[in-house]
Amino acid sequence: MNASASDRFVIPIGPQHPALKEPGHFEFTVEGETVIDATVRLGYAHRGIEKGAEGRNWTQSLYLLERICGICSHIHSTAYVVGVEQMAEVEVPARAQAIRETIAELERIHSHMLWLGVAAHDAGFDSLFMYTWRDRETVMDLLEAISGNRVHYSANSLGGVKFDLSDETAAAILKGIDFLEERTRHYREVVSQDAFFLQRTRGVGTMTRQEALQLGVVGPTARASGVARDVRIDSPYIAYNEFPAHIQLLSAGDLEARFLVRIDEMLDCYRLIRELLARMPAGELAAKRMPRKLKPGEVISRVEAPRGELFYYIRSTGGEQPDRVKVRTPTLCNMGSVLTQTIGHNLADVPMILVGIDPCFSCNDRAVSVRRAGRAEGQPWSWADLRRYGIDFYRRQMGLETHALAKG
Amino acid sequence: MALDLLNLLFFPAGLGLIGAGLLYQWADRKLLARFQNRLGPRWFQPFADALKLLGKEEIHPAGSSPVLFAFLPVLALSGALTAALYVPLFGLAPVFSFPGDLIVTLYLMSLLTLCIGLAGAQTRDRFSLAGALRVFTQMFAYEAPFILALLTPAVALRLAGQPGSWQISELATAAAGRPWFLLLLPITFVVALVGLMGKLELPPFDAPEAETEIVAGALTEYSGRGLALFSLARAVELVVGLTLVTALYLGGVGSGPLAAVLFTAKTVGLLLVIVVLQTLLARLRIDQTVNLWWRIGSVLVLAQWLLLILYQVLR
Repeated sequence: MNASASDRFVIPIGPQHPALKEPGHFEFTVEGETVIDATVRLGYAHRGIEKGAEGRNWTQSLYLLERICGICSHIHSTAYVVGVEQMAEVEVPARAQAIRETIAELERIHSHMLWLGVAAHDAGFDSLFMYTWRDRETVMDLLEAISGNRVHYSANSLGGVKFDLSDETAAAILKGIDFLEERTRHYREVVSQDAFFLQRTRGVGTMTRQEALQLGVVGPTARASGVARDVRIDSPYIAYNEFPAHIQLLSAGDLEARFLVRIDEMLDCYRLIRELLARMPAGELAAKRMPRKLKPGEVISRVEAPRGELFYYIRSTGGEQPDRVKVRTPTLCNMGSVLTQTIGHNLADVPMILVGIDPCFSCNDRAVSVRRAGRAEGQPWSWADLRRYGIDFYRRQMGLETHALAKG
Repeated sequence: MALDLLNLLFFPAGLGLIGAGLLYQWADRKLLARFQNRLGPRWFQPFADALKLLGKEEIHPAGSSPVLFAFLPVLALSGALTAALYVPLFGLAPVFSFPGDLIVTLYLMSLLTLCIGLAGAQTRDRFSLAGALRVFTQMFAYEAPFILALLTPAVALRLAGQPGSWQISELATAAAGRPWFLLLLPITFVVALVGLMGKLELPPFDAPEAETEIVAGALTEYSGRGLALFSLARAVELVVGLTLVTALYLGGVGSGPLAAVLFTAKTVGLLLVIVVLQTLLARLRIDQTVNLWWRIGSVLVLAQWLLLILYQVLR
């Protein structure tokens, strides 16, 4: 049956909408309550951080890049330092690597806990939301006890970490994760058994393994569809060789599986942290020497953020500053899957499906150039094109006289 | 005459009722918050909200009828207040009473839902339209089982050989003289209670105003006075609904000095049950709500009626 124009209309979600914690714009064409088409527009919170990193030296860029994300700040700085250390050929002490991994796993717990609450809220299950966020305070307090900060722990430095884990802190962490483990097991029960909640998650937003591979999704979203993809295991970085993570796989591919994969990951985090604290290597906290200038070269650094693979490309031309830092966050890889999953679903499921990939808009936002289909602009922009565009843009915006720049 | 006016305007109906409604609303919010490990509002928060909203500018959206936009909240509140006249508020005698007022009350209670739906449907806002669609869908889902469930005690009385009546005060008095209908008709009691939650759009039946999907649903365009009147109407409806279910199912209206206190305590107890249900359950999708009511709710009511008739025939 062909729906007439009056039967279908477009429900805009965002850039400002209660379901979105960050700005993004979606347009869902609905017929009654069923979504028949979906588009997304990102880029509302583009902050020019990549460009900003080019104007700072290697150390300053670390602080800047840590601020890409407020939830997974440590993993961003880890991705950066791992790459830079590789370029500088600096050997990082084992203890520093283990401390990095401990903080990364604590961060994963806090991120997944936060996500669980947000997802529960989008399902209209506010009790679960409130309880998970109360329990999340435990891990936030631990991170504050370790680093002095709740959000930007600033644990990494080039060549090592900035603080040690004392025995008292380790004892506090163990106590904290004992409590969290008990709570997490309870939440696993709620998520997998509550009949009302299961109505909203089971069989909703199903993505088969094939689709997941085609769309190139990463992280827990991929693992819930049976795609064994986890950078911690596929190409271990920092201390993941000595303290390996166990991959959490489910094959159902629906929202329920995404809940369970993340909860299972939290449980694995507790195991991993206990192991790390039990066998924490002794030694220095930072490499003896870290060069101020890096040899020319380029490096790709991949780490597993709570949301999936985080990709850094870093290039040096031999100076004190990075020539180029390119960040690709997992949200960008997963965003496409939202559009395909929502089609055919009820409008009420859309926020759930969107939150199912754990989107983090501001981290992934970048300047976007939209090419209309059928226009022969063909090739992606070259570096020179981009530079030219940037210069023209500022000339238009600010009336700047930039001939001197344009010549160079 | 003066007493009638006092009853009508101040207590138990009128201002007293609105005040009580806001207090019940506070109890609902506070209990829910405590169950969810939050602090919750202080007791005067709903009063402050209502006063603040009443004093605020009302923004009238383009493309909707200004008359309807202003008139619908008034109609909703007056519908709820009128419904309150026929129920034994706080265990006191109803202000007005006539044979058949049970039916009238049930329809007056639906007026609020209708007004909210119309208010959403007559604006051009897409969230309002989607919300209005859901309001009406949900209404068609719970309305029939809910009404049947509230009529069941009257039918049971008639079947038991007592003089039948659709008059709330008579039913409440008759209910007081026998075991609670809650024990005799447990199934329809549950349907009536859950139906009340559907009527008040409380979780898990809050799909019509699911904020993460359609912002504030049908009332998205309302601000200031209109919004205040709608929220007052909801508060009043909460009291009326609790009173009705208590009068019919929880031992009716007794006599004696403590009858009113006892009755009010029962309504608060009922509110507590509603809050616990709100805490425990996740929101249902609108299609799931419809399924629940037509596949389970209405069948349960019919089963209860069948049981009643069988019991009567076999005896």
